[in-house]
Amino acid sequence: MKLALHGVGHSFLGRSVFEGFQLTLGEGEVVALLGPSGCGKTTILQIAAGLIEPLRGRVERAYRRHAVVFQEPRLLPWQTTLANIGYGLAASGMSRSLRDAQAAARARDVGLLPEDFDKYPAELSGGMRQRAAVARALAVDPDVVLFDEPFTAVDVGLKRALQDLVIAAAETRSFSAIFVTHDLSEAVRVADRLILLSGEDGRVLDSRQVAGQRGRRSDREIFDMVDSWSREPEFAELFDPRRQS
Amino acid sequence: MAAGGLNLLGRAGAWLGRYIWSGWAGLAGLFCLVAAWQLGHELYGSFILPAPGETFAKVQQILLSPGFPAIAGVTAERALTGFALAAGIGTIAGAAAGYSFATMRILKPIVTVILGVPPIAWIVLALIWFGSGNGSAVMTVVLAGVPISFAGALEGVATRDRSLDAMARTFGASAVTRFRTVTLPHLLSYMFAAWTTTIGSAWKVTVMAELLSNTGGVGGELATARALFDIPAVTAWIVVTVIFALISDFGILHPIREAVERWRSASLPWGVKR
Repeated sequence: MKLALHGVGHSFLGRSVFEGFQLTLGEGEVVALLGPSGCGKTTILQIAAGLIEPLRGRVERAYRRHAVVFQEPRLLPWQTTLANIGYGLAASGMSRSLRDAQAAARARDVGLLPEDFDKYPAELSGGMRQRAAVARALAVDPDVVLFDEPFTAVDVGLKRALQDLVIAAAETRSFSAIFVTHDLSEAVRVADRLILLSGEDGRVLDSRQVAGQRGRRSDREIFDMVDSWSREPEFAELFDPRRQS
Repeated sequence: MAAGGLNLLGRAGAWLGRYIWSGWAGLAGLFCLVAAWQLGHELYGSFILPAPGETFAKVQQILLSPGFPAIAGVTAERALTGFALAAGIGTIAGAAAGYSFATMRILKPIVTVILGVPPIAWIVLALIWFGSGNGSAVMTVVLAGVPISFAGALEGVATRDRSLDAMARTFGASAVTRFRTVTLPHLLSYMFAAWTTTIGSAWKVTVMAELLSNTGGVGGELATARALFDIPAVTAWIVVTVIFALISDFGILHPIREAVERWRSASLPWGVKR
């Protein structure tokens, strides 16, 4: 066990978002939190990241450090790409030369070129910024990575490349991860297990293991899984066009 | 090592060249103003408005006179001390108010009151409290400048990007690190605007305070010139004051801003000059 949420509940301005949420994240496991927007999945992630204190329940952490990849890149506009990637290392007090070397290695891992290292975020394309954000999270050598709909804003081809990058990194660096998304095929592609939340009251509608090994599933298998699951009533909310918000 | 030094020197040279080159547009604007001044002189005559040429000859005479460094030094000391105090107090109080809602609620009306009292009224009060000396001029500059820095710092801290702050928190960055890397760079862009206004008003208010309290410096010279009906000297001292304000802005604040805010040009169409 790396991370566990015990009976976690939270409300905003007195309105309950979800109650009694239970999650145990195993060693090297990637869990996808799936649900329509407004179901509280980002709030659960922020609680796991320690950004929000849950009003009810408790969080148990059995790891050294975590990192978060947000929906937006959240790079500091006044720092170069390399300095941004090394931000987590700088925050933990690593010396400049050491962190630059480590940041450069992670930058190359995510496909950034050395000529981009000295550029400011404004000079990078949207995809490169999100690559840099992924590199920044990987640079601190985390045991747990929390992804908050990280690839929603990038185009289809790039999304795939970034998913592959996460799958490969999870393999080589053996971190555990929570991957928040509203895209069923993305969840099926990157995760070992998925938890489906309701948009109505944030309760867990379904929790299931994804067959096969992550990264080894063929496009055909993924398509068939998504196709058959999306017909099930539990998943109906994800695809309901009449749903509010 | 030598190559590195040479490279650094080359970059500094290139920066200086660009900085001076960017001044041409400013000079063009100033010459338009001088042309309008000349026109005014030709319409109203020397007694109302001395010609620019006449004034600049007088300026040269003032700058070369042996007494000038002492006179300028007195005014510069007052203006810069006032500026440093105003910028320091205003920025710290404003930043504190930006972080704490309660502090903001308490300080904001006080600042509005200070802002509402005209500087000339402060001079009268300062003369009663401090007598005619350095204190009166400096206090007036501080009171005129504090609200500007306060408002800038308050706005800067209040509009900081909280999502970047959250990002920094997930990496376990301490409050000091977060202030230095997330809030401060954002705050500085507000502060440079506020400090530019403050340093400009510091010179103006100092000269005004000196003129009214007759405590030497540029204001004292201005008072003497007025008493003697030496109109070219009046305009010349005005020009000297403006030169001081320009030097402090373009000679001190602007180069610092250029160096600190290099990243800003990254989003401009011509990009960062490397």
